[in-house]
Amino acid sequence: MPLLVGVFDAPGNVVGSIERLRNRGYDEVEVYCPAPFPEIDDALIEKPSRVRLFTLVGGLAGLFTGFLMTIWMANDWQLVVGGKPFTSIPPYVVIGFELTILFGGLMTLLGLLVFGGLPHGRFGVPDPGYSARFSAEEFGVTVRCKERDVAEVDALLRANSAKEVTLVEP
Amino acid sequence: MTPPPPAVSVADMIRPVPTPPDSQANQDILAVMGRPTLPYWLLLGFLVAFVHAAGAVWVYQVYEGLGIAGYSHPIFWGVYIVTFVFWVGIAHAGTLISAILYLFRSKWRNAINRSAEAMTVFAVLTAAQFLGIHVGRIWKSYFILPYPNQRGLWVNFKSPLVWDTFAITTYATISIVFFYVGLLPDLAIARDRSTGWRKLLYTALALGWHGTGRQWKAWNRSVLHLSGLATPLVLSVHSVVSWDFAMSIVPGWHATIFAPYFVAGAIFSGFAMVLTVMIPVRRIFGLEAYITNYHFENMARFILLTSLIVGYSYSIEYFIAWYSGVEPEQTSFWYRAFGPYWISTWIMIICNAVVPQVFWFPKARTHIPTIFVVSTLVNVGMWFERYVIIISGLSREYDPAVWGLYTPHAAELTILAGSFCFFAMFFVAFIKIFPVIAIAEVKELVIHERAHGQGGAH
Repeated sequence: MPLLVGVFDAPGNVVGSIERLRNRGYDEVEVYCPAPFPEIDDALIEKPSRVRLFTLVGGLAGLFTGFLMTIWMANDWQLVVGGKPFTSIPPYVVIGFELTILFGGLMTLLGLLVFGGLPHGRFGVPDPGYSARFSAEEFGVTVRCKERDVAEVDALLRANSAKEVTLVEP
Repeated sequence: MTPPPPAVSVADMIRPVPTPPDSQANQDILAVMGRPTLPYWLLLGFLVAFVHAAGAVWVYQVYEGLGIAGYSHPIFWGVYIVTFVFWVGIAHAGTLISAILYLFRSKWRNAINRSAEAMTVFAVLTAAQFLGIHVGRIWKSYFILPYPNQRGLWVNFKSPLVWDTFAITTYATISIVFFYVGLLPDLAIARDRSTGWRKLLYTALALGWHGTGRQWKAWNRSVLHLSGLATPLVLSVHSVVSWDFAMSIVPGWHATIFAPYFVAGAIFSGFAMVLTVMIPVRRIFGLEAYITNYHFENMARFILLTSLIVGYSYSIEYFIAWYSGVEPEQTSFWYRAFGPYWISTWIMIICNAVVPQVFWFPKARTHIPTIFVVSTLVNVGMWFERYVIIISGLSREYDPAVWGLYTPHAAELTILAGSFCFFAMFFVAFIKIFPVIAIAEVKELVIHERAHGQGGAH
């Protein structure tokens, strides 16, 4: 199926294009952005990223690990320190806190890899519609459509201020 | 909205996307990573050589034992612990700039966050060396970790030294994760514009980053969450380090103000180090368009604020020592200011609490040489702050019969100098391997400005 790439300068026009393409029923739309523009991601993917679930699960796992590990270890080899009970919660809060952050952070990284689809593609092979311009200051919107729709998509991208539209795959 | 250009026939359109000249931000910032000059190699060579020399001293110390250090009863925490705390402190600016200023949506952080994060990572690495150096018997240093063993023994989780291990490990890991996640889009930028071994390196590290909607969506959310996690972490790490002291009953250490006092001091010294390093870097690589005087002025304001907190803590320490009515506490603080370590104490007070007050004057905090001198003095002052707290505290405990004195020996001072070279070595190498400014985040501002300038985006 043909693949069209529209090149844009302004993030607002990218958002407009995505919305119109979606309204016309084109689902295979992808964007390439040089910088973070949440409005573009939100236009493309409406639901909030599920990375937050990973962070939550990681954080809770760290919290439980921290407390369970310290309490279990202190009771497994009982050694009185400073006349305090084996299960002394205040000092274990530090370990629980640190592991919450540690596991939460590592799970966030994992979430980024899973939901960001990283590693992406084959090693060293860029996507067909990708160009080094999209890691400069321009935005790319790629659309995969049926042959008979090429002219319409082309017109639609241009109507939304696409600077150039190219057909990278016939 | 501009009218659509004339339609092109479909056949004409079949071609790869043409590549116009690269963006200014990419060119300027990637230019820093260009071919190293001779002075660069000389500097890097010197740093590597000195790190090896300090390493050799350390190997000698492992062979001879800690006796070659200046330890003498009752002072067995010396320059190594002082330097450890110093470097952990330096590590605080990076995450503060990246995480806390991110949550506050302070866009000015974009120009300095990358280098500050890199400094965080390198400073934590430097600090971690000192845990191994300080314990002396390096081959037993893993005893601090709770690992299953034949004796069925576990570590004592009530000990602040164990808390510290967890805090520093977490901080190092999260700082590296934060640094790497922020670097991902820039690695893709570098990948698209490099050849040879660099292309291979950046392709591998960028993980096929294309800046797709899905990638940015996950990235934005991850950075937000990492910032949310790192913010309490920054505040906790130096609190935990301060409890290494505050949990003991040594006069001058056993104070509840220690956690906020240390955290403010850490941010203070961290910002000072960022300034001390970035002022020459900006000058040498001509990054004035990206790191402006406005950024330096903002950091100078941070220094002023934290200097006030630090100065307040110094005075409160003395006040509480007097007000507590506890004689050892009063004696300890008397000796701190007027005893054998008076020089260190006054260096600390003047460099940290007095000198930064010049930043009340707009002229001083916009004058780059002044900022450089003040930030360097702050670094000196903050090293001496830890020296004063640790050494003078231990030298004058409860029983005058066991009072003693400590003077750092040559081995310790060599390793101290080596730590600065270790940190600088990583930073100097970093400048040529990774983009020193977060390009994608700078572009976010450039594109926003351009869109608003044209009035067509929103």
